Amino acid sequence: MAEGETAKPQPRPIIRLGLFLISHSLLVSVVCCAAGVFALLLLPVLAKNTYISENALMPGSASPMLSNDDVSRARAFVNKVISFDSKSDGSSIGIQELVAQHITDLGGEVNFHKFLPQVKKFNPLHFFSSPDQGIVQENYTCSSYGINTVGFIRASRGDGKESIILVTPYNSVKTSTGEAVSLGIAYSIFSLLTRVTWLAKDIIWLAADSQHGEYTAVAAWLREYHTPSFDGSGRSLFESNASPITGRKRDDDFLRAGTMAAALVIKVTDGSEKAERDVLNLYAEASNGQMPNLDLINVVNYLAVNGQRLRVKVEKLGSLLDSSWLRSLAELFHKLGTVARSLNLQWNFGISVAEYIEGTATLASSLYNQALGVPTGPHGVFRDYQVDAITMEISSKRLANYKNRPNELLLQGGRLVEGVIRSVNNLLEKFHQSFFLYLLTSPNKFVSVGVYMIPFALLVAPLPMVAASLFADSTRRNSGMENKVKSSPASSDIPAITFGSWRWLHAAKTVFIVHFWGAVVALLPHFLSLGGDSPPLTNLLIWIALSAFTLLILQVILGSSFSLPRMNQTRGMEWTLLKSVTIAAACTGLCIMSVINFATAVIGALMLVPMCLTAGPLWLDAKAKILKSFIRVACNVVLIFLVFPPVTYYLWKGALVGLDNARVGDFWNWVESLWTWNSATYIYMCMVHLPCWVLCVHTLIYPC
Amino acid sequence: MKKDEKKNNNNTTTKPHFWKWAIASVIFRLILIYFPKNLNLATRPEVSTPVTSLRRLAEGYWLTQSSMSPYAGSMYHGSPLLLSILGPLTMKKIEGQPYHLLCSLVSVIADFISAMLIRATGLNLRMAYCERLKLLGLGKLFEISEIVPSEDYAALVYLWNPFTIVTCVGFNTTPVENLFIILSLYGACIRVAPLAAFGWVVASHLSLYPTILIIPVILLLGNGPDAIPRKLFLMYKKDENGSSNKGRVEHNGLTEQKSFSWKPVGLFFVWVSIWTLYTLVLCGIFMSNYGGLSEMFSRTYGFILTVKDLSPNIGVLWYFFAEVFEFFRDFFLIVFHVNILFMILPLAIRLKHRPCFLAFVYMTICSMLKPYPSVGDSALYLALLALFFNELAEMQFSFFLFCGYVGVSLLSPVMHNLWIWRGTGNANFYFATGMAYACFQIVLVVESVSAMLNHDRKIRKLVAAT
Repeated sequence: MAEGETAKPQPRPIIRLGLFLISHSLLVSVVCCAAGVFALLLLPVLAKNTYISENALMPGSASPMLSNDDVSRARAFVNKVISFDSKSDGSSIGIQELVAQHITDLGGEVNFHKFLPQVKKFNPLHFFSSPDQGIVQENYTCSSYGINTVGFIRASRGDGKESIILVTPYNSVKTSTGEAVSLGIAYSIFSLLTRVTWLAKDIIWLAADSQHGEYTAVAAWLREYHTPSFDGSGRSLFESNASPITGRKRDDDFLRAGTMAAALVIKVTDGSEKAERDVLNLYAEASNGQMPNLDLINVVNYLAVNGQRLRVKVEKLGSLLDSSWLRSLAELFHKLGTVARSLNLQWNFGISVAEYIEGTATLASSLYNQALGVPTGPHGVFRDYQVDAITMEISSKRLANYKNRPNELLLQGGRLVEGVIRSVNNLLEKFHQSFFLYLLTSPNKFVSVGVYMIPFALLVAPLPMVAASLFADSTRRNSGMENKVKSSPASSDIPAITFGSWRWLHAAKTVFIVHFWGAVVALLPHFLSLGGDSPPLTNLLIWIALSAFTLLILQVILGSSFSLPRMNQTRGMEWTLLKSVTIAAACTGLCIMSVINFATAVIGALMLVPMCLTAGPLWLDAKAKILKSFIRVACNVVLIFLVFPPVTYYLWKGALVGLDNARVGDFWNWVESLWTWNSATYIYMCMVHLPCWVLCVHTLIYPC
Repeated sequence: MKKDEKKNNNNTTTKPHFWKWAIASVIFRLILIYFPKNLNLATRPEVSTPVTSLRRLAEGYWLTQSSMSPYAGSMYHGSPLLLSILGPLTMKKIEGQPYHLLCSLVSVIADFISAMLIRATGLNLRMAYCERLKLLGLGKLFEISEIVPSEDYAALVYLWNPFTIVTCVGFNTTPVENLFIILSLYGACIRVAPLAAFGWVVASHLSLYPTILIIPVILLLGNGPDAIPRKLFLMYKKDENGSSNKGRVEHNGLTEQKSFSWKPVGLFFVWVSIWTLYTLVLCGIFMSNYGGLSEMFSRTYGFILTVKDLSPNIGVLWYFFAEVFEFFRDFFLIVFHVNILFMILPLAIRLKHRPCFLAFVYMTICSMLKPYPSVGDSALYLALLALFFNELAEMQFSFFLFCGYVGVSLLSPVMHNLWIWRGTGNANFYFATGMAYACFQIVLVVESVSAMLNHDRKIRKLVAAT
């Protein structure tokens, strides 16, 4: 960046500022990194209370209309479902038919959707493409279809162009009580909504058959809804309209109800004894760290807390809750807060110790789930079609003695869902007012993108600076050397054409080769998976061996030393340029990743930035034989060891869940889960993290 | 991008490396053509614009097949000639092959020919450069610094540039348009007026903006390829007491006018009128049933000049004209177009001794300010830039620019995805990358021009010293 401003005696202030920063890059980068980590820890303190920014939502403005009548009808339905389940398999109708029958009785339209569990496939470009067309499977003679039952209520005041989705996943082979109750809640809502006059959006109730997994069922239905797949003759592949057992025709088509405004996934689980009140767990993370609009979470949270007296919870990282370092940090922040408050009453950023710890644990879990890029439930698939969706898991201890007091649970759940639907029904446009990019620190506190970008920016800021400083450094050295060389012949005073500013091309070539190798490494598991099933450990070893082998081959084929003319370097100093280009590549990679999936980028930056910044040839430090260089060697070796992906994985795992029953093959399983979910984190790991690691190792062992 | 230059490093010593890499690039393209579904490049706004998209051309061809004007429905905005040449190829299908295979093959061939023409032009330029240096008595410069075969570099930069590859595979007409631009420069470089005129007329006809290349082409025809400013010769000859001049250089200030040979330029204009007439007649015949030539002009040039399509692209105009009030629209249209015209003359005066470089600068400015830019435009000007590798050896900020281009070209699709597919971003996200791209182009132009002028200054110093 700062090449050759030396000519001018007094450059402009902005350039002088840049030069100042570059010349003190060590200090600046240490300060920036420390500030970045500090700001990251400060995020729970900076979190703001959520608020409902879309006025049209008006949650809780109408009193719930769900009556005991609906509930008792739902109770009868639940009992049927439960008893149906206990009946023998020889019964003539499936559970889908039972649901369909009830929907029809209520006056709704019914549709069946037959689907096959799709084999998960790695699609490296998934992120850049629209949701793909369903892959047409030729051999759908497979015995186990899943059959979704879909009920529709056409809104009396709507134009049929918008809809709200209710999803209740249940296992059609063996329905548990919780699933039955969730079906019951949806049924009670459905029976209410067929009668109300205020409905402006169609209601779709998707009773998703989760015998092949909840996500698969919902994904299959959504794919068919948005991108129908046809066979050669133009007919839809699955005869979704025929009843699965009796073959009776219901309607002519796969029914649709326009664009989806929001989707609610309802689940009921058995709660722990300890909790006084019933708990509502919210899950919102979709693929690649996408979140639904904050307004949806706000509405659910508001109605659950104020309307139904539920305790709303989002996921927490349990291991952080009783860690001592976090407690002491919380106490420190608490003290700072009180001191600040005593100085000026306006400075009200104090936070209680428990609140900080809870906030950090939630934030960590939020970051972790987003960074994985794997959706936390069937709501995840909706986000791929730009529909805001959320999973509401009511966890109640009353489920255990459901038989005795069935109504309460149904009424509570039903009224909550009714309130949410009523709010969403008011929407004129799709959710857009509130945030899409945020991290939750508690159900009613969030950190918005403008705040959480600060720690990341601070972490990454040293990278371009150090890159520029190294670049300027090597340019200066080289020009110094050229002057020396030139003065020695002394005969000619003609300055040669030296390609001085293109010297980085060599380093760029190396960096390019390594990143290209990263892409190859990313594709290797795909080919390994084609080979068939083998134990994870074998796969992992083959993967590592093949990767190393490819690196060697690429080094031989592409890396053989071509040299541009007149680009001879100061001997042994090529590593500065190489490091500079490596850091620039890392910076680019991190910045792009921060746009795709912020959580991955910030966790990646925590690991990559220190490693990239400290890397330097070991022999240089070994020669120096002073304490500083010794420390640097130690830092380098430790960081390089820690940042190697498998090691990092086991460390994280050890820190989060403990290494008691960890196996070596786990890493492979984890990687496989990442790529089957098309997580961008996988691409990041292979194409940014790993190449940077290799380049840093290369810098470390740079020959004398 | 310049990323590929590193691949070219190998061909300094032996020529076969060039052919190896050139053929490898063609094979690489052929492989990519086979998997277009996965890449889906034809729908990317960075790759195909409303003016260059072959999918639109296929639509236009289909309309003509059913006896309608190809311009009906505002789908197609290209030339009728392109329609009648490429149109049948879009319909023809070889059994078992991807349906657009033939069109993509045309792109591959066009790319390859362009690279060869760039190489020939580069050779011409480098020979002229060396010759001039020797004439100035700077032969010593060759001894201490090697002159790299920049023409090979330029051709390989063109062939291996990811932008070119993406454009070639991305099912659009940019490779063909680029081919004609390069053809006209090549024709002017070897001073064949009919060829230069043909290239210029067709290029202007296809994409309008190459019209301004008429200045570099005339300068090339009149003065010959890029060289050191003529003043230096005078200086040098004066110092030598003007004894053994080659008869061309005289001792008064009128030298330049005299040495500008008008004959090829006149010939050029004659041929330009012939080719223009020919093109117009062909177009007229084609358009006779669909509203005549005026319809064609309003649907092609009119479409480009009035910025009718505001769908997002990597340029900056779509955003601006989406925001601007309707009654200011005409005013700003004029402002933006005059922007290009304003820069033509000063640049022509300052860089008149380097017409090819001038062409590079013009193409860069056009790609910055045109309403429907694509990465294919950058592919062209980056290749032209690589022609001057020797002269630009001291160019500053090369690494910064490289990082910027890589960063922007990766970030732009991500931002587009965030806005269009995920719905979590908005238009500003994508426009920001467009602005960054424009800024990097500006820095590129400024730095390359100043490097070129510095190079000239350096030569002047050397001449003064000897």
